[in-house]
Amino acid sequence: MTIVVIVLILAGLVFFFATTVGLLRFPDFYSRMHAAGKGDTLSSLLMLLPLALYNFHEINMANLLVALKILLIGVFIFMASPTATHAIIDAGYEAGIKPWTKKPEEES
Amino acid sequence: MIWQLDLSVLTLIVICAFATIMVKDLLSAAIIFGAYSFLMCLLWTEMGAVDVAFTEASVGAGVSTVLFFAAVYQTSRMVRPRRSARWLSKAVGLTAALLTGLVLIIAENDFPDFANSFSPASLHLSPYYITQTLHDTNVPNIVTSVLADYRGFDTMFETAVIFTAGLAVIAILRRMKKADQVELPERFVISEGYPDTISRFVARQVVPFIQLFALYVVAHGHHSPGGGFQGGVILGASFILLAISYDFKIVLGIMNEKMNILLGNIGVLLYAGIGFLCLLLGANFLDYSMLSKVLPATDKIMARSHGMLGIEIGVAIAVMAIVISIYLNIVSNGKYDKGL
Repeated sequence: MTIVVIVLILAGLVFFFATTVGLLRFPDFYSRMHAAGKGDTLSSLLMLLPLALYNFHEINMANLLVALKILLIGVFIFMASPTATHAIIDAGYEAGIKPWTKKPEEES
Repeated sequence: MIWQLDLSVLTLIVICAFATIMVKDLLSAAIIFGAYSFLMCLLWTEMGAVDVAFTEASVGAGVSTVLFFAAVYQTSRMVRPRRSARWLSKAVGLTAALLTGLVLIIAENDFPDFANSFSPASLHLSPYYITQTLHDTNVPNIVTSVLADYRGFDTMFETAVIFTAGLAVIAILRRMKKADQVELPERFVISEGYPDTISRFVARQVVPFIQLFALYVVAHGHHSPGGGFQGGVILGASFILLAISYDFKIVLGIMNEKMNILLGNIGVLLYAGIGFLCLLLGANFLDYSMLSKVLPATDKIMARSHGMLGIEIGVAIAVMAIVISIYLNIVSNGKYDKGL
């Protein structure tokens, strides 16, 4: 059980790291938000799931309730985080931010 | 207490505080201030003050950020470039700040250490609360019983302060007459945009659960962190979410101006009314134990618990109505016609 928890948390950390690198390194607004939205959602769940699992060192009603609450946070993040990303990207699109493209030879 | 965690969070808090002052874009400043509040919330959780952390998360990081946004939406986004101050005034300001900081650091030496069990504060009053609360009031969450029962008078006036704040915002911003309404210059008017189906759908799905959670926070404040203030703020925030994702008009349809002021009044009245009911029954003001005469099948101890629940509900109603009212006033510049 502990090994599964450790592996999942490490995977979550790797995805968080990838999100941060993507947020800093990607060329424009849209791809940055892409990295933030996708990576953040998945890595949050990868961190919450082992926390819920870790409660089950002893199975009883209280631990079950705590795990259920943690999973509910996960469900909420799964709904809220992509929507927030979508809303930000939508606002950026309406504000007229141009997406990044590989510049043709003659312009550069 | 893990001092490495404390140190890193504190460093981030100081960085956020400086960034909030330095940044020229007020929208960014509001977002950084939200991050600052959230870090404060983490710090308080780490120190074991879960109720305070909950309040900070819902009020500081949640609602006040939205209120800042609404204010920025109605004014201007960038800090206006200002003539640089004279070197003399700068020097005076710097000296005053440094002296104040020095005095604070010197005064800090007189404080007892954190979690020092022999400090005066934890020798006299706190042990009584910690040992006697469950016996006196049958409420496991000591913070709730201290706030709502032992020091209920304080909390009543805190609710009154929030109510007064709502009234002040209405008095300053609300424009009833057509002649008072000033049209904003063109550059401040932000385009309405087309309705966004995805955020509308998700908001519609999430709002009932948010409100259910808020009711849980109010009702379960006796046993877990939470209570009237936090629950009320979350309830108000769910309406603000509706106003942002849908339309200003929808919230006005559910909670119009009259309703907001009425509910704010009812909340404070419920609190004070329970106090007066105790007075009428022959006890002191806000001494809930006498409520056992009117509540069926309760002894004096359970009556205190029920009395606390009653005033928590009052606080929640008042806070919810005032939060919505402040948001609606700020975002529509007091005109109640359109907003974010």
